[in-house]
Amino acid sequence: MGRFILRRLSHGLAVLLAVATLTFVLMHITPGGPFDREQRLPPQVMANLYAKYHLDQPLWKQYLLYLKGLMRGDLGPSYKYLHRTVTDIIASTLPVSGLLGILALGFAIVVSLPMGLLAAYYHNSWADRWCLFLATLGISLPNFILGGMLIWFFSLQLGWFQAGRWGSPASMVLPTITLGAAPAAYLSYLLRSTLIETLGEDYIRTARAKGLKETVVLFKHAMRNSINPILTVMGPLLAALVTGSFVVEYIFAIPGMGRFFITAVTDRDYPMIMGVTLVYSALLVGANLAVDMLYSVTDPRVKTQ
Amino acid sequence: MLLTLGSCSPSSEQVQETTFRVNLGTEPPSLDWSRATDHVSFNVVVNLMVGLTEFDRDLKPTPMVAKFWEVLDGGKKLLFHLRDDVRWSDGKPVRAQDFVYSWQRLLNPETASEYAYILFDIVNAEEYNQGKIKDPALVGLRAVNDRTLEVRLKYPAPYFLAITTFEVTFPQRQDMVEKFGERWTEPANIVTNGPFLLESWKHENEIQLRANPDFYLGKPAIDRVQMVMVNEKTTALAMYERDQLDFIDNKSIPIFEKRRIARRPGYRVVPQLRGYYYGFATNRKPFDDVRVRKAFALAIDERVFPKVLHGGEQPIKSWIPPGMLAYNKEIGLSFNPSAARRLLAEAGYPNGQGFPTVTLGYNTDESHKMVAEAIQGMWKNNLGVLVRLDNQEWKVYLSRLLRDPPHVFRLGWGADYPDPNNFMNLFTSNSGNNNTRWKSKRYDELVEQAARELDPEKRIELYDEAQRILCETDVPIVPLFVTTEATVLNPRYTGLELNSMARLMLRHVRLKEPST
Amino acid sequence: MVAKKRFEELWQRLRQNQVALWSLAFIVLVVLSSSLVSLLSPYSPGGLDEAHILERPSLSHWMGTDGLGRDLLTRILYGARVSLTVGVGTTLLALVIGTAYGLLSGYARPRVDNFLMRIVDIFYSLPDLLVFILLSLVLGRNVIGLLVSLAIVTWVRFARITRGEVLHIKESVYVEGARAIGASHARIILRHILPNIMGPILVTLTFMIPGVILAESTLSFIGLGINDPYGNWGTSWGTLAQDGWRAMRTYPHVIFFPAMAIFLTILSFNFLGNTLRDASDPKDRMK
Repeated sequence: MGRFILRRLSHGLAVLLAVATLTFVLMHITPGGPFDREQRLPPQVMANLYAKYHLDQPLWKQYLLYLKGLMRGDLGPSYKYLHRTVTDIIASTLPVSGLLGILALGFAIVVSLPMGLLAAYYHNSWADRWCLFLATLGISLPNFILGGMLIWFFSLQLGWFQAGRWGSPASMVLPTITLGAAPAAYLSYLLRSTLIETLGEDYIRTARAKGLKETVVLFKHAMRNSINPILTVMGPLLAALVTGSFVVEYIFAIPGMGRFFITAVTDRDYPMIMGVTLVYSALLVGANLAVDMLYSVTDPRVKTQ
Repeated sequence: MLLTLGSCSPSSEQVQETTFRVNLGTEPPSLDWSRATDHVSFNVVVNLMVGLTEFDRDLKPTPMVAKFWEVLDGGKKLLFHLRDDVRWSDGKPVRAQDFVYSWQRLLNPETASEYAYILFDIVNAEEYNQGKIKDPALVGLRAVNDRTLEVRLKYPAPYFLAITTFEVTFPQRQDMVEKFGERWTEPANIVTNGPFLLESWKHENEIQLRANPDFYLGKPAIDRVQMVMVNEKTTALAMYERDQLDFIDNKSIPIFEKRRIARRPGYRVVPQLRGYYYGFATNRKPFDDVRVRKAFALAIDERVFPKVLHGGEQPIKSWIPPGMLAYNKEIGLSFNPSAARRLLAEAGYPNGQGFPTVTLGYNTDESHKMVAEAIQGMWKNNLGVLVRLDNQEWKVYLSRLLRDPPHVFRLGWGADYPDPNNFMNLFTSNSGNNNTRWKSKRYDELVEQAARELDPEKRIELYDEAQRILCETDVPIVPLFVTTEATVLNPRYTGLELNSMARLMLRHVRLKEPST
Repeated sequence: MVAKKRFEELWQRLRQNQVALWSLAFIVLVVLSSSLVSLLSPYSPGGLDEAHILERPSLSHWMGTDGLGRDLLTRILYGARVSLTVGVGTTLLALVIGTAYGLLSGYARPRVDNFLMRIVDIFYSLPDLLVFILLSLVLGRNVIGLLVSLAIVTWVRFARITRGEVLHIKESVYVEGARAIGASHARIILRHILPNIMGPILVTLTFMIPGVILAESTLSFIGLGINDPYGNWGTSWGTLAQDGWRAMRTYPHVIFFPAMAIFLTILSFNFLGNTLRDASDPKDRMK
């Protein structure tokens, strides 16, 4: 088991390094620099800025400097937010996105569990068809449209929930629904098809023939064996949700990390771009690792090699 | 479920603090006025600090920390005499040395300030910033004593006084900056001298200011200021309409809502010292021909823009904006489609036939898009020419302008300080910001003379001639309009006037009735 | 021969499923009307019409007008070109790249396969949005650039699925047999493996298209989309939705119609995809 973990860990680190390199290169190929302004800076002012941030060094040197900093845990200064480091910014925004992500995932699970169960159990009935219809609706609706509709209806017309910002429980309702709707639909889908398959397997028939109660059959056997594909997607799904959705955070004015996936590029805030990318990738790799480990524990068929 | 955010309720029995609530739009990148570059940061700083001067309604510098000043040596030496009753928030008096330190820090190449160039008129300032001189004491800046600041300029600069209104020239406390380093602007560390104190700064969320009871002009009428950071305009507007904000401007009003909002009490349109223009790449065919440029300029009906942008934008034909010295509304080319067609035909493209494909470039933004699309339509209808639209992300656009500008490009220009010099020298031959590649010796001469001329009447004459060259004869650019800020102030309050530099000064804000 | 029979089965399935039929009809309607819009509409998608700014839907403008007075229905029909082209084009490009890659990886020796899949892992670990923006800045904001940028971010999905299926099939009887009689690798891949994995690939395809349309409209909504009002390609639906967002409070029609167009199109593709998935081997696992 230990060797397994070590192996996957080193694999994960290799992926992170590759991601860092790829992003670094791509970032520097992009035209436009962090200090390009409408009022062009005089050459020596620009030179002073570049010297301050080591941007006047050859690229490979900059890259090595960055890696050295990484090993110390230093993600660098932000080029845009002049007195904060990338670590500062991520430390204050990631928890916000994280909370929203967890709430959205919670919402998705609470909605998808009964829906998926219902649809699979009563496969091919009208309930199933309706659930399928709703799920399809859910994954077809872009979240900016859903968010817009919710804001328009509940906030602007009815005045129920706060129009924006983040803090009170009331402010969390609409963003959670907006962010969680598509995952809810997707998970329903997945649960339904996995359960349908599982319920058709031999050992279920055997369990029923043995006279076990339906609830036991359903929950103890069918659900437990359907967990795997769900878990596979949960990990990366959580990672994606937790790092923030730009659109949802933007339209609801939530001070999360999602915003930076775009603004860091627009500002050419290189350390921020690298920082945000690495956090995202690390979370994803971590989630996959966790899922793999869970697999090796729950499913003895998986070789831990 | 409305959240009340501490606003004054007249029905309460205790004395409640008045909190004035505004929306900054985004997190200020920096509150260090030596390094800040954007108006969000300056909007906060302008309430925390005061400097040598500030401008009045006519945009003239009026005394603040500087009681009065002397202009000596033909304009090459300025002596500022400071008040003795202005204090920092920790009680220490504001001294001339604080200004010297701040300006030296601005120029210090290690600080890498973007606005260092604003002080380049001072003797040895540019050399110090370039690293040619190592000792800051050699810069023409001296504290004669605690109350007197001496500035020596390379040449007489009539606009220098206007520069002293600019936030980057505000004083700083050397001991505090050096003690706290990068973190000196955090609320626990910062030391300021203005009407408000920085009480808290929740990053990406909100800033809270508290009235300074020891401010030398008296404690401001409002007790607190809450500055939220809501980027989304629709959300911000909804907040105002549900009484969660007391003041909104362009950052919080979506374009298409402006028409409806205009009917609200407390609505005012404030023209800004910010011009919006289209430039021609005069080194590329067909815009190397002045007749073509004039034709395109004459084919634009500027009156369309306020209708399309809904913000009361002020169409303009000349370059210096209204409110600034030497503004002259007689100068420029007015909409004249028949003259436009005639000129285009003269240039060899009757009715647009044979006109090569040209690109109109702009950076991605809703307003720029609408302006570009409207103009594209006008040129098609009035000249028979269909230009290609090309929009790019802001920084890509900027780098493209530097290397290889499109035939027609859109840009804006905002005043750093209210003097025509920083508008007119934009188009001189050696200006790093002149993307038109247009050069005119006479224009250069006029602008330089006007920059050194202390007599305002003579300056106006010089600028008039220069503007004629720019906007009527050579036409390397077409000024389109002056941007405006649409603002709405909660009718319970008064005393807030957004000025034409879009600075949100809250010192004079007060409730209309006295609070109980 | 096998393919033709499956096609007929599919068509039968489709005919029975009301929802799928309507979806197909909708898509066909959109494609036809967007191709013929220059003949069908008296209005221009570009320019400025001062007199008719922000008009509500009426008999002369079925969907109303936008901030510059342009007819919204016309703009939506032109915009369909971008959204559909990018949706289908990106998916096809990603399919070609991803499938080829997956075939190679699945068929190759385990060590090579592992290495190739590491690369896929790396792509999967990149934040889509950020990478897309960087790519689009480098490649340019036209239809081709957008298409390529999106394809680069999405091809890995096809790669993974293809590889999984290839691994499955590799040990099957057909392939063993073909190898026994000495068939070349290329022949094995093309004649035996490829036709048998088409099922899941096709299913992925029909789900990718709406996914890409959704991604493209979201990106356009943030301002990264195509904007060419007079041009042959029109203005993307997402960009139209962005215009409408600003006016949502007072003029909801400006966002309502583009949003509906996006939603209904994605929905139609998804319904079709459902039907296809049910029609193909039902024992195939959903990935």
